Amino acid sequence: MEPVEVKVSDLNVWIGGSHILKDVSMKAPPGAVTAVMGPSGSGKSTLIRVINRLIDLIPGARVEGKVLLGSLDALRADPYEVRRRTGMVFQEPNPFPHMTIYDNVAIGPRIHGLARGEELDRLVEWALKMAHLWDEVKDRLRDYPHQLSGGQKQRLSLARALALKPRVLLLDEPTANIDPVSTVKIERSIMEYAKTTMATVIIVTHTPQQAARISDHILFIYQGRVVEYGPTREVVLHPRHELTRKFLGGEV
Amino acid sequence: MSEARFKLLVAPPAIVSSAILVLLFIVLLYYSLPAIREYGLGLLASPTWKPVEGAPGEYGLLIPLAGTLVSAVIAVLLAMPLALASVVFTEEILPRGLYRWREAFVSMIDVMTGLPTIVYGLWGAAVLAPLLGDTLYKWLHRSLSFIPLFSCQPTTGNTILTAGVLLAIMITPFIYAVVRESYRQIPRTYREAALSLGTTRYEYVRIMMGMAKPAILAGALIGFGRAAGETVAVALVVGNTFNMPSCLLAPSYTVSSLIANQFANAQLYPLMLNVLVSGGLILLLIGIASNILGIMYLRRVRYVA
Repeated sequence: MEPVEVKVSDLNVWIGGSHILKDVSMKAPPGAVTAVMGPSGSGKSTLIRVINRLIDLIPGARVEGKVLLGSLDALRADPYEVRRRTGMVFQEPNPFPHMTIYDNVAIGPRIHGLARGEELDRLVEWALKMAHLWDEVKDRLRDYPHQLSGGQKQRLSLARALALKPRVLLLDEPTANIDPVSTVKIERSIMEYAKTTMATVIIVTHTPQQAARISDHILFIYQGRVVEYGPTREVVLHPRHELTRKFLGGEV
Repeated sequence: MSEARFKLLVAPPAIVSSAILVLLFIVLLYYSLPAIREYGLGLLASPTWKPVEGAPGEYGLLIPLAGTLVSAVIAVLLAMPLALASVVFTEEILPRGLYRWREAFVSMIDVMTGLPTIVYGLWGAAVLAPLLGDTLYKWLHRSLSFIPLFSCQPTTGNTILTAGVLLAIMITPFIYAVVRESYRQIPRTYREAALSLGTTRYEYVRIMMGMAKPAILAGALIGFGRAAGETVAVALVVGNTFNMPSCLLAPSYTVSSLIANQFANAQLYPLMLNVLVSGGLILLLIGIASNILGIMYLRRVRYVA
């Protein structure tokens, strides 16, 4: 599978009357984790929803600019094709409550006819191991997710996305409501997935600490504008912009 | 108004309205007892209906009971796809930009739940029954008569199948409303999760409908309860004939249409009134059971993983 670079140029998004994203340009390279950081309401979630076209669901949203996933023009392509290549994990753990743990992971490969029988079993096991959940659920794959803890549910949601081996993995504050142990496991999964499969990972986070821990590049957005973009070390140690300094210091 | 007085004002009506169900049950049971004592299980199991003036006749409710169940089952089977397709249409297919159109469509279906049932009955008798009798039933009999359900020669459009079709039209808006309300409550995060897997709209709707399954079952049960109890519309199209509904193209009876048709002259025949009341008791029990089950399923609709 080919590595896919995500490239956003001159992106503007309006929802209803308000200008949510203003002239946003960014790149997220394959094999690395790019953190999108900024205070709440800065447009971070909107940005990754443009990348996988979930923005289409929001009534009254208007998008201008260009988004490339490798050679695929994401804003002009069939949204199903775009979403097929991207995986997403959301802020709320959201495994489907009416499906077993196994079926939650298998649903993507099943829909796209990627695997069946033992091959599907192996794929499910791979995804659950990748999400650091396998050891906790391997004996109860036929149970329903309501018996899992919040952190386990979130790792199950991650495994569901990973089972499709997306070239681009998007995460929208995946650990905001999760216990510390699961948070560590999810962060490890994300980094491992990026490095071992050369996937492009973009994670939205509102904590600079998380960005510093797991990302290779940081994009700092404030009020819909890109304030700073660069390698994580540089942004954290030598922020060029006053706003970035304040955000890192917890003042914004 | 003082606190105590206010309580005194609102408590009795509340108690009375909840007591009505119990009273209803007791009264129906009381008037059924003579019939139950006389006929025992035969009341349910016998297909005979022989009124005798001045003496207890032979009464069995098997045929109308079967008619009630068959017509209600046909109604639910036909109404489910209609209701589910309407939910998908209004919630997923009509573009969100056409908000007014969507709400107009939804309101139109909702209005149908409140129409007087005699309106459906008149339309059923004047339009639906002759139409089905002249076209569909003749065709069904000609091409599918090897199936016992379609083996009898259709004479008129007033058949158990017409009752089922009419009931399906009548209960579709109820099922639609129950399923739609639950479908709308599915949190956005699950919708996004399903779509983020690259699902087509069909696959996406299948996942959402899977989540709404308890509501779909509830809708089916509540619809069944309504169909089983519906009286006047059915009485106009079912044919009102003591005829086992083993063939759908023949006239038959339902419990409610039997009561409606026979009640006026039941005084002339000893015990007939009691038999009819016991039919009402059975309808009450069917109604209570299907509604309680339906409500239980609705309570299970919680979209939390």
